[in-house]
Amino acid sequence: MAMKALDIYKHLPKTNCKKCGYPTCLAFAMKLAVGKADVEACPDLEAEARTLLGGVTRPPVRLVTIGTGERSVAVGEEFVLFRHEKTFYHPPGIVVQVSDAWPDDEVRSVVEMVEETVVHRVGQDLVLNGVAVKYESNLPERFAEVVTLAGGGNSLPLALIADDPGALEAALAVAGHYRPLIHAATEENHEALAALAKRYGCPLAVRAADPAELAALAGKCADAGVPDIVLDPAPSSLAGFVAIATDIRKAAIGRTEPALGYPLSIDAGAFGDADAAIAAGILKYAGIIVVPPLSPASVEAALTLRQNIYTDPQKPIQVTPGIYPINEPGRNAPVLLTVNFSLTYFTLLGYLEASRIPCYLFIADTEGLSVLTAVAGGKLTETLVADSIKEFGVGDLVDHRLLVIPGYAAPLSGKIEDATGWKVLVGPRDAADLPGYLETEWKT
Amino acid sequence: MESNDERLAIREVRLGATRAEGGTREVSYAIGGERDLPFSGKRPERLLVALEICDDPQFWPPVVRDYVGDLANDTAEWARAAERTYGADLVRLNFTSTKQRGFDAFGAIAATTEEVLAATARPLIVEGSNEPELDSEVFRRSGEAGEGERLLLGTAEADRYRSVAAAALAYGHAVIAQSPIDVNLAKQLNILLRETGVPQDRIVIDPYTGALGYGFEYTYSVMERIRLAALAGDADLAMPMISAPTDTLSIREVREAAPADREAMAVAWEFYTAYAAVVAGASIVCVRHPLTVARLKTALEG
Ligand code: B12
Ligand code: SF4
Repeated sequence: MAMKALDIYKHLPKTNCKKCGYPTCLAFAMKLAVGKADVEACPDLEAEARTLLGGVTRPPVRLVTIGTGERSVAVGEEFVLFRHEKTFYHPPGIVVQVSDAWPDDEVRSVVEMVEETVVHRVGQDLVLNGVAVKYESNLPERFAEVVTLAGGGNSLPLALIADDPGALEAALAVAGHYRPLIHAATEENHEALAALAKRYGCPLAVRAADPAELAALAGKCADAGVPDIVLDPAPSSLAGFVAIATDIRKAAIGRTEPALGYPLSIDAGAFGDADAAIAAGILKYAGIIVVPPLSPASVEAALTLRQNIYTDPQKPIQVTPGIYPINEPGRNAPVLLTVNFSLTYFTLLGYLEASRIPCYLFIADTEGLSVLTAVAGGKLTETLVADSIKEFGVGDLVDHRLLVIPGYAAPLSGKIEDATGWKVLVGPRDAADLPGYLETEWKT
Repeated sequence: MESNDERLAIREVRLGATRAEGGTREVSYAIGGERDLPFSGKRPERLLVALEICDDPQFWPPVVRDYVGDLANDTAEWARAAERTYGADLVRLNFTSTKQRGFDAFGAIAATTEEVLAATARPLIVEGSNEPELDSEVFRRSGEAGEGERLLLGTAEADRYRSVAAAALAYGHAVIAQSPIDVNLAKQLNILLRETGVPQDRIVIDPYTGALGYGFEYTYSVMERIRLAALAGDADLAMPMISAPTDTLSIREVREAAPADREAMAVAWEFYTAYAAVVAGASIVCVRHPLTVARLKTALEG
């Protein structure tokens, strides 16, 4: 298990020389204790202390970065088995697979799709993370050519899927500087692949069907000088993947097998239903998910599931309470009460902007709860509304005293009128009906 | 985490009754019995996919009505197709007719339950009224019509569980117990049902399923917490779970998809939500689009 900051401190040189980037040895110890620093940063550690602390202070799952620059994807560095215990931090990278046996046009269109796909949800831009190029042509130079066609790693992170060291060497000559994931070292080829990974400083996936073999293989590659490893447990079924992935994450978190403390990868194309495999990968600990080209519906559902699972369970995604002018409202514009749950805000914003109706969104602090939840849980109350009207100076913005409230807040309408002195208009329940409602009902 | 201790198992709940068991079903199912995290350790006998149908399609998602066409106007035929054509393990019959203003066609409730039982060979889930005032009569009629068939009757909630519990007790059915995404509320409702006399091996927990992108993450975590509590020995949570992502087909992504994409979007959304619920521990997932059924069956086999 993890070590406390003070216990770690005992093993440090205690010179406060700052070479680690922290002001004191104690500050460094505190970062180490929460898995947020690397022992290697202190140059003056005794070899023995280095080994001891290295084992207990690194994050239970190593952070591995694929690609370089803006679109690089960092996975791993997770601390829990279940998201409700704390949260998951690093959403898996979803990389779309092409083959070097495909015609150029087909490859190009998939790469473009990956580059251009963006799903906007609750203020976040959700994207696919990269391209996996699979070696099927048996011609190393063709593999390198298609890797170039896929951007060479310059624009999008790449995974190079091949067992043949020769083919990988050709591809790395093109893309090696952009940290592609080399996928995958096995019992047969691991020496050659680890040498390549070391030479180019690239992350390396290792593949074995049995967790013990996987750990042994990862250990060998680490010893060969490859620090960034990804584990492919090569499951024979999806149920098998969920079971093995759970065991591996348990071993990593419990630090019972340090050689399993790496992110996992899953090849979603290897199962009967790729969407199920993607979902299983997102839910159960995959760091890299290799997928076949997906339909737009699958992309949207997959990215939404990933966003859901990787939000902090203790803290809904929120917007700052206050007054938000929309479509340049004047002094007669409607004032619309709502809550500070991001999903609610962005849903409303979408409809209101499209309608071009000038209005003020009046966002009360319901601690990130949705309208219906806040009403049911007593977080949206007449007192909150009255206090917020004063706090945000809503009365100074408009000449009228009319407040439109969400349909689901209807039970509060009388109380809000009494507490605020404003006349309350109960709007529709569904935000989609709000523009139509304002067009017919709003008069000052 | 595998254990041989009986107390650490999720209780088995039997659904449906064959002739030998006093009913008319060709099969009956035992759900539950797990002793470990989903897909780990001893696997449950089977995971079930239910197709939801209703007796008044005006209250049903347009994307499903477009797909099933005329079937929606013949509840028994729809139920038959659910099993034979679409491959569902069982049917979940929703009495949406009770949403009509001034509903009083209680005789039809009994008749429809009988027709659907006759049209299908597998266990049946019956979803009673949507109106508390109608509960006792609707549950009584459907419960009575299914006597001996060991239906799964829904839905009990903290402020309305007596009618459904009474019907389950009188006619020998199991009950769906739904609470709004909260471990403690799930436990409390199970205790209430126990105190009413419903045996614990006749309760299936419905943790309430928010749609993907609209609260599903809370559902997912609550299901994991319910399962962990059960495995740690909490007998009041040691029941199998059912998940019905009913909100999915009315979310913006589906409603506002271009007509040509709507069906794909509906199926993708139902599929991802339902499959994730299985990974979180659901024994039964209920969906509304027939195409989602086949996809789930394939996925659960893989
Ligand atoms: C996720 C969720 C939770 C999450 C909270 C997530 C969050 N950040 O809010 C958690 C698990 C924490 C939760 C807790 C509770 N929940 Co809850 N929850 C949900 C769920 C599944 C989704 C909510 C959601 O995200 N909706 C999406 C957002 C966008 O909706 P919205 O904010 O209402 O906005 C829409 C409209 O209101 C409208 N709108 C918004 N603003 C405005 C403004 C104007 C002017 C207009 C006109 C319209 C408008 O537009 C939006 C889009 O149409 C719902 C079920 C459901 N179908 O709604 C239950 C639900 C709301 N919860 C419910 C309950 C009972 C609770 C609890 C009280 C349970 C408990 N005792 O613990 C607690 C209360 C919280 C507390 N204790 O403080 C019940 C409410 C029952 C009722 N009808 O009153 C529901 C309906 C579930 C159910 N059927 O039982 N919940
Ligand atoms: S580099 Fe080492 S010795 Fe120097 S302050 Fe940091 S921890 Fe202390």
